[in-house]
Amino acid sequence: MTVSLNIYGQNLDSRLLIGSALYPSPHVMKQAILASGSQVVTLSLKRQNPSEQAGQQIWRYLQEIVTQTNGFLLPNTAGCKTAAEAVTLAKMSREIFKTDWLKLEVIGDDYNLQPDPIELINAAELLINADFKVLPYCTDDLVLCQRLYDLGCQVIMPWASPIGTGKGLMNPYNLETIRLRLPDATLILDAGIGKPSDACLAMEMGYDGVLLNSAVALADNPVLMAQAFSQALKAGEQGYVAGIMEQRQTAHPSTPTLDTPFWHQS
Amino acid sequence: MNIHINGQAYPLAHEARITVSAALALYFIESQQSTFAVALNGDFVSKDDYDKTFVSNGDSLDVLLPIQGG
Repeated sequence: MTVSLNIYGQNLDSRLLIGSALYPSPHVMKQAILASGSQVVTLSLKRQNPSEQAGQQIWRYLQEIVTQTNGFLLPNTAGCKTAAEAVTLAKMSREIFKTDWLKLEVIGDDYNLQPDPIELINAAELLINADFKVLPYCTDDLVLCQRLYDLGCQVIMPWASPIGTGKGLMNPYNLETIRLRLPDATLILDAGIGKPSDACLAMEMGYDGVLLNSAVALADNPVLMAQAFSQALKAGEQGYVAGIMEQRQTAHPSTPTLDTPFWHQS
Repeated sequence: MNIHINGQAYPLAHEARITVSAALALYFIESQQSTFAVALNGDFVSKDDYDKTFVSNGDSLDVLLPIQGG
């Protein structure tokens, strides 16, 4: 884990990346994102009639947030099912948002919104060749993560569990193995985070950051939950850096046993 | 001819083809005042190319704007 989160050469103060969807209102969205301390906010593009101005309002809010946090926008390719669709949407995003960063999503199954690994690899290669800085959202498959890293994705974003489920880390072994096998990759746990302890656990594993949305946006109090996640990430990061003790199979007394009163030798 | 903009059909009685700029003018006024991007039949069209890219019968334009996302 580096001293601060590094995304394609950009150092960030916060290790939390946050989504801008599903909040009760644009105002609550802004307050929650600011409370989270995050400097990276995800957003998307959709068909809209520009005359209706709804998209323009959201766009203004997000611009205000990025200005206040010295932050960055991270457009996604949500809804894309093929590499070709993702490349087109990426180019449209780059023109609007003036950023090469891209959260690459290519979905292969509508039921659990699981990424399509084949199309994801194809899209990543095309986008890297088009000078995008790709942050792929992928499953917790080690070999898939390795292939994405070898292609040139400096940041890899395996899922904790399917988008919006809040089920937390479904397969900690896979996630730990990815960390172990890709020590130089920037690893961000993305999707399925439900509670602050999930984020803390990811950081304790040595992950570089966490990307979440629903867990904050759908909380009864999104602003308070954003603060909770901010603290959870810091706790997990400090725990990892401090060095977590090895688990032991048997009990060991914490209190010194020498001169224990009423000692009975068995 | 018929074209589609964001899935909505636009019948055009006289023209054989029109530029992307002209097609956008059918859809909304003062296009340059808004933040949006365009794809023609699934391929990105840069703003620089709106006046030299043509929309023909059966073509489909997507006009996309920023929205919240996760």
